[in-house]
Amino acid sequence: MRLTRRVRLAGVALAASALVLSACGGSDDDSGEATDAIISVNGSEPENPLIPTATNETGGGNPIQNLFAGLVSYNADGSTTNEVAESIESDDATLWTVTLNDGWTFTDGSPVTAESFVNAWNYGADPANAQLNAYFFYPIEGTNDEGNTPEGVSTISGLTVVDDTTFTIKLKKPESDFPLRLGYSAYFPLPEAAFGPDGKITSEYGERPIGNGPYMLSDSGWEHDVQISMVTNPDYDGARNPANGGLTFKFYADLDAAYTDLVGGDLDVLDTVPDSALATFESDDVQAFNEAGSVFQSFTIPESLPHFSGEEGKLRRQAISYAINREEVTDKIFDGTRTPAEDFTAPVLDGWTADVEGNEVLSFDETKAQELWAEADAISPWTGSFQIAYNTDGGHKAWVDATTNQIKNALGIDSSGAPYATFDELRAKVNDKTITTAFRTGWQADYPSMLNYLGPLYGTGAGSNDGDYSNPEFDATIADAASTEGDDRYSLIEDAQAILFTDLPAIPLWYSNIAAAAATDVDNVEFTWQNLPDYYKITK
Amino acid sequence: MGWYILKRIVQTIPVIVFATLIIYALVFLRPGDPVLNLFGDKPVSEATRATIESQYNLDKPFIVQWLLFLKGAVTFDFGTSFSGQPVIDQIQRAFPVSVTLALMAVAFEAVFAIIIGTYAGIRRGGWFDGVSLVVSLVIVAVPIFVIGFLFQIFIGIKAGIDWLPATVGGDWTVTDLIMPAIVLGLTSLAFAMRLTRGSVSENLAADHVRTARAKGLSEGKVVRNHVLRNSLIPVVTFLGADLGTLMAGAIVTEGIFNIPGIGGLAYSAILKGESPTIVSVVTLMVLIYVVMSLLVDLLYAWLDPRIRYA
Repeated sequence: MRLTRRVRLAGVALAASALVLSACGGSDDDSGEATDAIISVNGSEPENPLIPTATNETGGGNPIQNLFAGLVSYNADGSTTNEVAESIESDDATLWTVTLNDGWTFTDGSPVTAESFVNAWNYGADPANAQLNAYFFYPIEGTNDEGNTPEGVSTISGLTVVDDTTFTIKLKKPESDFPLRLGYSAYFPLPEAAFGPDGKITSEYGERPIGNGPYMLSDSGWEHDVQISMVTNPDYDGARNPANGGLTFKFYADLDAAYTDLVGGDLDVLDTVPDSALATFESDDVQAFNEAGSVFQSFTIPESLPHFSGEEGKLRRQAISYAINREEVTDKIFDGTRTPAEDFTAPVLDGWTADVEGNEVLSFDETKAQELWAEADAISPWTGSFQIAYNTDGGHKAWVDATTNQIKNALGIDSSGAPYATFDELRAKVNDKTITTAFRTGWQADYPSMLNYLGPLYGTGAGSNDGDYSNPEFDATIADAASTEGDDRYSLIEDAQAILFTDLPAIPLWYSNIAAAAATDVDNVEFTWQNLPDYYKITK
Repeated sequence: MGWYILKRIVQTIPVIVFATLIIYALVFLRPGDPVLNLFGDKPVSEATRATIESQYNLDKPFIVQWLLFLKGAVTFDFGTSFSGQPVIDQIQRAFPVSVTLALMAVAFEAVFAIIIGTYAGIRRGGWFDGVSLVVSLVIVAVPIFVIGFLFQIFIGIKAGIDWLPATVGGDWTVTDLIMPAIVLGLTSLAFAMRLTRGSVSENLAADHVRTARAKGLSEGKVVRNHVLRNSLIPVVTFLGADLGTLMAGAIVTEGIFNIPGIGGLAYSAILKGESPTIVSVVTLMVLIYVVMSLLVDLLYAWLDPRIRYA
């Protein structure tokens, strides 16, 4: 079965008609759909200035998505609608011409032009500005693998401004779904007012950004350690016309407190239910949401581990995968808020299928696991202990202990978790390749395409290829898929995944569900492929 | 007296300087790479890394980092967090709520501990003494987050009392903090209560108390003027030190009630390896401990006339 739409959005037509309705209601007759209610949602104190290219965490990222509008915006199902762009076209999938709609302005009245985009992207890619989202520019010519321009060069050579409403983007290699990327916050435009006389984005702008999105900051704006409040932008005329009067991102350092506020009626929508409430939230007096999401979880066994290379490695990886009972872990440890993995991507994406060749290796089969392990032992007898490294500041202990226990019981080998105190301590070991165990890995896509779950993680030499996996056949299939469109593309992606299922550079575990909750008096809570509520649709 | 205070204040300078050195060394020895925290699972280019490291002096040896910090600290420039916010601003936001919360907790503790403890000490072996012992044991035995969640659910949500909200948030008022302060102070209350009781019952048998009784003073005067003042010395020592602990160590309570205080600030800075924030917060805490212990020492002289400072 091929699912061309998000599984949970069975009634796409219904959602689409609701959109049309709200769009009609938004213009003149506001009494029907749009209300003035301010919706309070959970947030956290942003760790960075509110600049699109500087913010890579949700505390600042979620507000920014509502304050800006990019070339395209994402629909709930992961498809895109042009916003500022009138068209994004290419003949060869390498040189893209972007034409902007007339009439878009920032809230300070200045027009949104081709320069607004190009200047913002140039700024983001310049290593002298150390922008955390530079990575998103890596497909464009004139940047390196990390998305930075060469040192001392402050413009991306692949970007050319043609006139006020047109610019071109030259890519390093053909990518037929490139426009899908452009809804991400790193590609948002910036007004001239953002830049100071020295060419740097001013700190005042980072505190109080001027955007072109469906919302703008209210008079109180960003109150540190308290909240960010925003009201609707009267000049906005894009695809995300707000059905409410504004948003307040209330800051919580601890999700437990946010859940308490939701139950107590002081918060309208909570995008992540805390672990402590997972067992009960579906029966508490709130609206509960538990749907498959776009985050893929796995653990990676690096090629460099003894016993895990060559034919022996393949057998052992498969044995370990068969030894894990994913159903049991998602049920017992996560109270059903994870969905056992069936491939290397995520089920909310266009073209996703549960029938990838070779994915039976993700089922639980102790006998098979023992057979494969014995075959590997015949090549070279097993020594040592199989460990999975994890960071203890992220709530991973429970599932790592459960999974390694299953491996221990099924294969009769010594297996345990290897804890690291902080995320960066673990990543430092992974990055400099000194880690001597398997380690947990996860991926949330940058844009809604299955390819984004494959190329950056398993391509030879790719930026997030932590296990140093390299298979020329896989690389070639991915490159083919990137320049192909339609069903051929999806079958190439299936082929690529089939290769991964024999090599298992990472062992897929499960997809993180959207486990969210809303107050009972709140309506129209829907979730996007980014696992976030579609803020502009919420009403109360 | 004035000379003594001055001497004590001068003594704090080396304490602070060495405290910052030790903390800097500890942060430097913290395994991991703070730059990776900023980028999550995305790759970082060498050029960007170099920019960030030179911006926050991460590329320098720790002794140089420390000296640069000291140089800035003298002019009240405590550096910036990785988000570009001045550390001094972060502390200014987090400090008032932590101080208020800790003071309220200690006040609650002091009042109830001294009243209940004194009464239990006078009636040693009576039913009140027995009940207070059992209650304090229960309070000490139950973890603070259990008490916190119970208060939150039954008083904050179920009872629905408007001026006792279940969570506080950044725009706090003093009444919002009543419930968190009680939760925060409860464990120490139990300790201080036992301390007062033991001290009072011991002093009741002391020679000077027998003399006061022999002079024909009323029992009330004996307890207030001769027993209590002497008995309070260990209690005051405990409460003074506790104020500092409650200010910096209220992470659990802060989390439960969503209070953006010093504890949470230090905790997240440690996870991210932000040395300027960690060192500034800890230095501030050292300063508070030093001042508190000075105040406690001065209180001794008032409580016990035998103690004199020259």
